[in-house]
Amino acid sequence: MQLSERIAIVGIGETRYERASTRGLMALLLEAARAALADAGLAARDVDGIIAPGATYQELHELARELGVRGQFFNAESWSGGPAVVAAPLLAALAIEAGLATTVLCVRGLAWGSERRGNVGQFHAEMPNKASFEIPFGWYPQVVHFAGMARRHMALYGTTEAQLGAVAVAARRHAALSDNALLGGKPLALADYLAAPYIADPFRVHDCCLVNDGAGAFVMTSVARARDLRQPPVVVLGVGTGVSEDGEYSSLRANYLATPAVHSAPRAFAMAGLTPADVDVVTLYDNFTSMVLQQLEDLGFCRHGEGGAFVEGGRIEIGGALPVNPSGGQLAQAFVLMMNNLCETVRQLRGAAGPRQVRDAEVGLLSGYSGTQHATLLLGRGG
Amino acid sequence: MADAREIPVRHLPDPGWPVAAPFWEGCRAGELRIPRCRACHRFVWYPSAVCPGCGGGDHPWTRVSGRGRVFTWVTVHRAFLPGFADRIPYVTALVELEEDPRVRLATFLRDVPGGGPQLGMPVEVTFEPVDDRLVLPAFRCVTPRG
Repeated sequence: MQLSERIAIVGIGETRYERASTRGLMALLLEAARAALADAGLAARDVDGIIAPGATYQELHELARELGVRGQFFNAESWSGGPAVVAAPLLAALAIEAGLATTVLCVRGLAWGSERRGNVGQFHAEMPNKASFEIPFGWYPQVVHFAGMARRHMALYGTTEAQLGAVAVAARRHAALSDNALLGGKPLALADYLAAPYIADPFRVHDCCLVNDGAGAFVMTSVARARDLRQPPVVVLGVGTGVSEDGEYSSLRANYLATPAVHSAPRAFAMAGLTPADVDVVTLYDNFTSMVLQQLEDLGFCRHGEGGAFVEGGRIEIGGALPVNPSGGQLAQAFVLMMNNLCETVRQLRGAAGPRQVRDAEVGLLSGYSGTQHATLLLGRGG
Repeated sequence: MADAREIPVRHLPDPGWPVAAPFWEGCRAGELRIPRCRACHRFVWYPSAVCPGCGGGDHPWTRVSGRGRVFTWVTVHRAFLPGFADRIPYVTALVELEEDPRVRLATFLRDVPGGGPQLGMPVEVTFEPVDDRLVLPAFRCVTPRG
């Protein structure tokens, strides 16, 4: 089954991103889903497939009922964490090409700002080996895990704090060009970055993603049907997934600094018949600044160890050679497990990103990461 | 040995969890013990029912030297758990064992030299009692002889 250039993203929708919402996650999911359908010019009755990563059994069916999805529908669970949204087009393409669905809605939201009140490490604390062998020694939570990777990257390759800062500064500059970014009104100079105190050396608060509430959604259908809809279609060119050979414990990985992008990216590029040189804009899972470096290396944009030098000099800023996360990403716009980044890539490829528009953006790459899993998605401007 | 009061009273491991109980028993005896496959002699870390090398299921806990090297480290300035509030900043690290660098332990670094830790810095285990049931292994930075 040929999957490249068979389906397109035809609608996107997002809520306002907030530090903490009083509305509850279901209301946010419904708002985003309705906005994506309206953007596509479709009605809920047109939807016969739903991918709702992270939704519980109850939430999935409440979503379908509230939207008004009727009768037979295709449902798939798509990985977890950052790869789920990015891999959803692979499942949608399989379903649509196989005739199981015609129109697939992917919706994803988080209410960690209001629900978890900052305790984002809880799921690590519930793993017995981590509770026994890591947490008693202060190797907890995520910020410490990733600071350990950043520290080794610095020690092995000479990566500097200013290079991590370049990622934080770029994210904040991009957020300033968005009307829906949590840190849009808070500019950050490199000197401010370097003057901030450490949380988990080498990380400062500016190296860490946001914790917030919000949701987004997107609608997929066949390229043939997409031509009759109201938005310029954004075509799925290639998608690949991968998993770490070493399982859950980042502390024990044989190749400690490699993300499973080393597996997913070659598959996505092969499906699309493209190389990194063909990519005009990148959105990736920036849970911490250093992970931007590591993913750029693993995706093939630079060699291993060269991520620090790569992000310097404005290269990853809008106007640079390879703009990364032009809406501010999860460091400065909102943390919604790549949904904000997917909607932004679609806007960029429609040529509808306003003051953030990357010139001549024809191919976008999405990099969805979650420790042990990774998905790479290549999207293209429809003809 | 460090002062027992230095150890947080919360977020301690459960020394009775059967999977890890022999590890804590070793620490109480002043020995660092790691499961090792009887069939292929590979260390099985973290403990697992199945050896990642040969699939074998018999992994007696085996004493190791307690010597190793710093793989990476983080100086933590914020207490993410209440039990760490009175000890920040602290240096947490991954240490790879001399017998097999694939075995890494998360640990506290002690006797860190003024210039801070370095990649590959030699360390050796030291045992820090918490109470009658629990002794935690930490690692001291040691100056290479020579």
